[in-house]
Amino acid sequence: MTTLAIHTVNLSRRYGRMLAVDKLNLSIEGGTIFGFIGPNGAGKTTTLRMLAGLLEPTGGEIHLMGERMSSNGVQAQRLVGYMPDFFGVYDDLRVWEYLDFFARCYNLPAAQRRTTVEQLLDLVDLTPKRDAFVQSLSRGMQQRLCLAHALVHDPPILLLDEPASGLDPRARVELRELLRTLRDMGKTILLSSHILSELAEVCTAIGIMDHGHLLAAGTVDDVRRQLQGGAALQVRVLNDSERAAELLRQMEGVTAVNHSPVDSRILRVDGEINEEQQAAMLAQLLAEGVQVSSFHLEADSLETLFLRLTE
Amino acid sequence: MNTFRFLRPSVNPILVKELRSRMRGIRPYAILTIFILFMIVIGYIIYQMSLSQVRFGMTVLSPQVGQSLFNGLALCELFLVIFLAPALTSSAISAEREQLTYDLLVTTPLKPLRILWGKLIAALSYLLLVIFAAIPVFSVVLIFGGVNPRDMIKALLLLLISAIFFGAIGLFCSALCKRTAQATVLSYSIILLILGVSMLLSLTWGRFSDPPGQNVPEYILYLNPFSALSSITILTPMNFNSPFPVMFDSSMIYGGLAWQTLLATGVLIYDENGPLVLPIFRATILLYPFLTLLLCWISSHLILPRRRWWPRWSDLGFLLSLVLFGVLIFMLRSWWYVPTINRIPF
Repeated sequence: MTTLAIHTVNLSRRYGRMLAVDKLNLSIEGGTIFGFIGPNGAGKTTTLRMLAGLLEPTGGEIHLMGERMSSNGVQAQRLVGYMPDFFGVYDDLRVWEYLDFFARCYNLPAAQRRTTVEQLLDLVDLTPKRDAFVQSLSRGMQQRLCLAHALVHDPPILLLDEPASGLDPRARVELRELLRTLRDMGKTILLSSHILSELAEVCTAIGIMDHGHLLAAGTVDDVRRQLQGGAALQVRVLNDSERAAELLRQMEGVTAVNHSPVDSRILRVDGEINEEQQAAMLAQLLAEGVQVSSFHLEADSLETLFLRLTE
Repeated sequence: MNTFRFLRPSVNPILVKELRSRMRGIRPYAILTIFILFMIVIGYIIYQMSLSQVRFGMTVLSPQVGQSLFNGLALCELFLVIFLAPALTSSAISAEREQLTYDLLVTTPLKPLRILWGKLIAALSYLLLVIFAAIPVFSVVLIFGGVNPRDMIKALLLLLISAIFFGAIGLFCSALCKRTAQATVLSYSIILLILGVSMLLSLTWGRFSDPPGQNVPEYILYLNPFSALSSITILTPMNFNSPFPVMFDSSMIYGGLAWQTLLATGVLIYDENGPLVLPIFRATILLYPFLTLLLCWISSHLILPRRRWWPRWSDLGFLLSLVLFGVLIFMLRSWWYVPTINRIPF
C-alpha cells in the first residue's frame, strides 16, 4: 500500500462551545486532486488551516506524507503549500520580487532562487507580467501568483482554500488547466469550495462536509453512488409515455419510474442499473416502437443530492 | 552542500522586501525633504533669534550662536525622530493582518524574531537615512563653533537609541493590535504618556513637595528623551565659586532658547556650589536598549499564530541577554546614578 499523502485520525477543532470540525477521518492518496465541498461554515477552512499548521487541533492526529505532525506545526511548513481563501498582496512590490521574497523566506540559495522564480512565473503564465506591480494584477492573476508563491519550496501537498471564488469563467478554466498540470507533476492537491460545479470536472476525488462531519468521500461516481444508492436515468420519449413507463417498470433493476412534473414525456428511472442494462433497456424500448429522443444519466443529481444532504 | 548552509549568511527576507517596497514612489523622498526643510527653517529661526539679541545691545559671540543652533537643531531632530519612528513601525505587523498577508508569512519557516528584526531594521534604516541626511544641516554649527565634538557624538548616540526604542514601541503595538489604526493610536498614547508624565511631574513637583521647591527625583526623568538631550546640550554653567570671572550671561546656558527651560526642568539644578547639569542621558542610553529588548521579546510572542505563550528556545536567549544587560547596568551604577537628594534648593 502506498503511503497516504494526507491522513487524519479523529481530527477535531473546537471554538469555545462550537465544534467546527468533529472527528474527521480523511485519507487522501498521493497524486489526487481532492475537492472539499460543503456549505459556508462546514469546517473546510478550519480543516485546511489545521493541515497547514496555522491552527492547533483540539484533538486527533495529522499525518502528512506518512509523517505525524507534531503539535507546533513546524513540519507542515516544509510539506505544504497553502493558499488562503482571502489573501492580500504587498503593495509596491513587483511580481518577481513577490516570489523572490517567499523564496528567501524558504531559505532558497541565490542561484536556485532565480531559476525557481522564472520557472514558477512560466508555470502560472505570468512571465509577461514579471515587472508589473502586484497590486495592478487582475484578481485571476493574483490568484495564480498566490498559487505560485505556495509552490516556491516545491511542496508535495497543496492546500487551496476556495481557489475559484471570484474568478471569471476564463480564469476558472485557466485555473483548472493549471491544477491538472500540477497533478501531472505529482502534487497532491486538496482544494475546497462551496460550489460543486467548480470542482466536479477537475477533481479526481471529492469529500462532502457539513457541520464538521465528512458525509461522503471518494471519486465523484463513488460519492454519487454512496449518497444515492444508484443512478437515475432520464428518458424522454416523443409519444406514448404511459406505455414507455410500463415497459421500463418491467425491466431488471428498476425500482421506480416517475413522470417528470415539468413535462410528462420525461421519465425518471430509479434503481441499480449498470451500463449493460442501460443499453439493453434502450434497445428494448426501440424494439417496442417507442420513439426515444433522449436517454441519459441525470447529470445534476449530485448537485441536488448535495443540496438535500446539506440542508 | 546543505550541511554548511548555516555558514552562508542570508539576508533577512523581510528586510529585502521592506527596503524594496518602502523606497518606491514619491512618499519616502517627500518625507525626507520635508524633514530637512523643517530643520533648515528651525536653524534659520534660531540664527535670526541670536542676531536679534544684538539689536537689544547684547554682545553675541559666534560660539554662542553655534551653541544655540546645536541645542535647537538637536531638540528639533529628536522631536521629529520620536514622532516618525512609531509611524514607520506601527503598521509593521498589523498591516500584514489587515492586508491578509499574515497567513502567507507565518506558514513560511521564517522565525518570528527574524520577522520582527526585519521590520524594525527596515523602519530604522529609513530613520537612519533621515538622521544622517540631516547631518549637513547640523554641520552649520561647526561654522560658528562653540560646541564640543564629544557632545555632538553623545547627542547623535542618544538620537539613534531613541529612534530604536520608539520604533520598538510602535512594533510592539503593531503586534498587539489587530488594526493599524489602533496600533498607531496606542503607540502615540504611550509616547505621550512617557513624555507628558515626566514633564508634568518635573514642572509641578516643587509646588507639592515638602519643603516646597524641591527638585523632581531624577529617576522620573530617565524615560524622557528630552530631559536626556537637555542634559547633553545644556552647557555646564560656570561655577559661581570659580576663581575665574563669569564670562557670559547666565541665560545663555540654554543657548538662548527660552522653550528649552520647559523641557529641561529638573535637569539643571542648583546646589550650594551653584548650578549643576545632571547627566540624565547616561541612565537613558542604558534604559532604552533594555526596554527595547523587553518589548521585542513580548512582540516575538504576540506575533505567533498559535501557542503564543508557550516557552521557546529564543526565550532563553532573551532572558539571558536581559539578565546580562541588567548586570551591566548594575555594575555601571556609579557612572549613571546621580541622586538629587541632599541637594539644597537654591
